Amino acid sequence: MSAQVQVRLGSLELDVELEVPPGRIVGLLGPNGAGKTTLLRVLAGLLPPDTARVVLDGRVLDDTTTGEHVAPEARPVGVVFQNYLLFPHLSALENVAFGLRSRGVPKAEARARAAEWLDRVGLAEFRASRPKQLSGGQAQRVALARALATEPRLLLLDEPLAALDASTRLETRRELRRQLDGYDGVRVLVTHDPIEAIALAERLVVLEAGRISQIGTPQEISERPRSRYVADLVGVNLFRGQAAGDEVLIGTSGRLVAPGAGRGEVFAVVHPHAVSLYRQPPAGTPRNVWEGTAEALDLEGERVRVRVGGPLPIVAEVTPGAVADLALGDGGPVWVSVKATEVTVYPV
Amino acid sequence: MSHGRERPPLLALTAGSVAALFFLLPLAGLLWRAPWRSVGSDLGAPDVRTALRLSLETSLAATALCLLFGLPLAWVLARLEFPGRRLLRALTILPMVLPPVVGGIALIYAFGRRGIVGQYLDRWFHIVLPFTTKGAILAEAFVAMPFLVITAEAAFRSLDRGFEDAARTLGASRWTVFRRVTLPLAGPALAAGSVLCWARALGEFGATITFAGNFPGTTQTMPLAVYLSLESSRPQTAIVLSLVLLLVSLGVLVGLRDRWLGVA
Repeated sequence: MSAQVQVRLGSLELDVELEVPPGRIVGLLGPNGAGKTTLLRVLAGLLPPDTARVVLDGRVLDDTTTGEHVAPEARPVGVVFQNYLLFPHLSALENVAFGLRSRGVPKAEARARAAEWLDRVGLAEFRASRPKQLSGGQAQRVALARALATEPRLLLLDEPLAALDASTRLETRRELRRQLDGYDGVRVLVTHDPIEAIALAERLVVLEAGRISQIGTPQEISERPRSRYVADLVGVNLFRGQAAGDEVLIGTSGRLVAPGAGRGEVFAVVHPHAVSLYRQPPAGTPRNVWEGTAEALDLEGERVRVRVGGPLPIVAEVTPGAVADLALGDGGPVWVSVKATEVTVYPV
Repeated sequence: MSHGRERPPLLALTAGSVAALFFLLPLAGLLWRAPWRSVGSDLGAPDVRTALRLSLETSLAATALCLLFGLPLAWVLARLEFPGRRLLRALTILPMVLPPVVGGIALIYAFGRRGIVGQYLDRWFHIVLPFTTKGAILAEAFVAMPFLVITAEAAFRSLDRGFEDAARTLGASRWTVFRRVTLPLAGPALAAGSVLCWARALGEFGATITFAGNFPGTTQTMPLAVYLSLESSRPQTAIVLSLVLLLVSLGVLVGLRDRWLGVA
C-alpha cells in the first residue's frame, strides 16, 4: 500500500507519506491528537482528504488529482475500531456475518462462514451472545473476526487493546498477534502504547502533530530516537546539538564529550543508567562531569529515576540504596558524570 | 440529604392539591357519568362504530404518512448541514403550537380546491382533498407530524455515528446502513415517536373539522362525533366515545412511561 495524504481537520494538519510492502504490519505510534485516527479514517474512505493518493494492491482508492474516491463500502479495507463498535442489536454471529451479508453473500452461507470465524477466534460458544454480554477481550476478538470475515486486503486497527484492562490485555495481545500473523494483507495498527507497537508491529511509524517524525524497526527507533516524544517513550536522554570533532555542543552552555562525534547537527543519546550521581566532585577520569540540582524522583520498577537540572538537564537512573546514601530526596546540588563512551551520536 | 424530614410548606401543599384536583375532578366526572351498564350496546351503535372505524383508519393512515415523509425529514435535520436548517426545524415544530383551526384554514388555502397546490391536484389529477377522508388524514398528519419528527431527529442525533461508519467499512451501502443499523438502533425512540404521533392524530379535532368538515362515515372521526353528540343532546354517545379516547391516552401513557415519566 502506498498513501500520500494531506488533510486539515480543526487544528490538525495531517501531511503523511506512507509505504507499506504487501503482507507487512506497521505500527502507527504517536501521542494523542497526532492524527493517527484521522489517517486511518482517510485510508478507510470515511474521511475525504484534501489531497491524497492512496493505492492498494495496484488499485487506486483515492486520487484527488483525478477526483477518484472509492466509497468506504467498496474498499477492500477492514477496520477494528477503538471501542470495537459491535452492533448492539445483533448477536456476535450476526455482527461477523454483517459484512458478508452486505456484500451479497446469501444468508445461510454468511452465517456459516461467520460461525467459522468465531470458531477461529475461540468464541464458538458465544454465537448467540449480544455485545453487551461479552467481556472486553471477547468483544475485541469479535470485532477482529468481523473485520477479517470480508477478507480485506488492508486491515486497520485503531488502538485495539486500549479499551481493555491490564489483566486481560496481555493475553488478548498474544491472541491478537497470533491472528494478525495468520493474515496476509497489509496491517496498520494505531497505538499510543510503545509496548503494544513493539509487540505487534515489525515496523514503526512515529506520527507527531500530523507529520511522520521517524520510521524504522522497533530496535532502530529505540536506539536512535529522533524526537523528544520517542526518547521519552523509550526512556532515554536525547540531546540535539552541534558536533565539533570529539564533542557535542548543546544549547548555550551544554557540552558532551563523545569521541568521533564528527561535524554538523547531531542527536546525542545517553541512557539514564549510564549517568552517575555524586554529592562530591568525582575523582578519576570521566570526561563528562558537571554540577546540577536534583529536582525530582520517580520510582521505575526497581530503579529510581532522578531528574537533574543544570546546564544540561538530564535523567539519571540509580538504585534506591544510592538515593538513600546520597540523600537525593532532599534535592540540592549533585555532581553528574557520564562516560564519554556511553554517549551515542548520530546525525539529524 | 435530609430534605424529606423538613415540615412541608403549607402553601405549596394547598396550591398543589388544588392543581391536582383540578386535573383529576374532570376525569372523575367523566367516569361518574359514564353509562356503565349500557357501554357495550352504546359502543355497538352504528354511528359510534362508524366513528371508531374511521378514526382508526385515518389516524393509522396519518401515522404512516408521517413515517413515510417525517422520517426522512428527521434524518435530514439531524444529519445534513445546510443554510436554513434551524428555520426549517422551527417550522416543522410550528404545528405543535399553532391552533389547529388555523392549521385547518392554512390547509384549505394550500390543498383546497382553490389552494395553491389543490387547484392543480383537482385540475390535473382530479384529486379533491377538502371534505373527504383523504382530507381528514391530511389534517391529522399535519398536526401530528411534529411529534414524530422531533422524536426521530433526537434519536438520529444521539446515535453513535461510529456504528454507521463501521457498517460502511463492512461493505454496507448508505441505504443498507440506514435499514440495518440506523433504524434498529433508533427503533425504541421511533416507536415512541410513532405512538405519540398516532395518539395526536387520533385526538385531532380543529384542523380536521375546518379542512375536512364533519360528515359521518367520511370525515366524522371520534372527536368530531363526541362534539356533535353533545350538541345534538346525545351525551351517552359523547361519554362513551370520550371513554374510548381516555382509555387510549392512558394506554399510551402506560406504554411510554419508561421514556417520559422516568419510571425505572
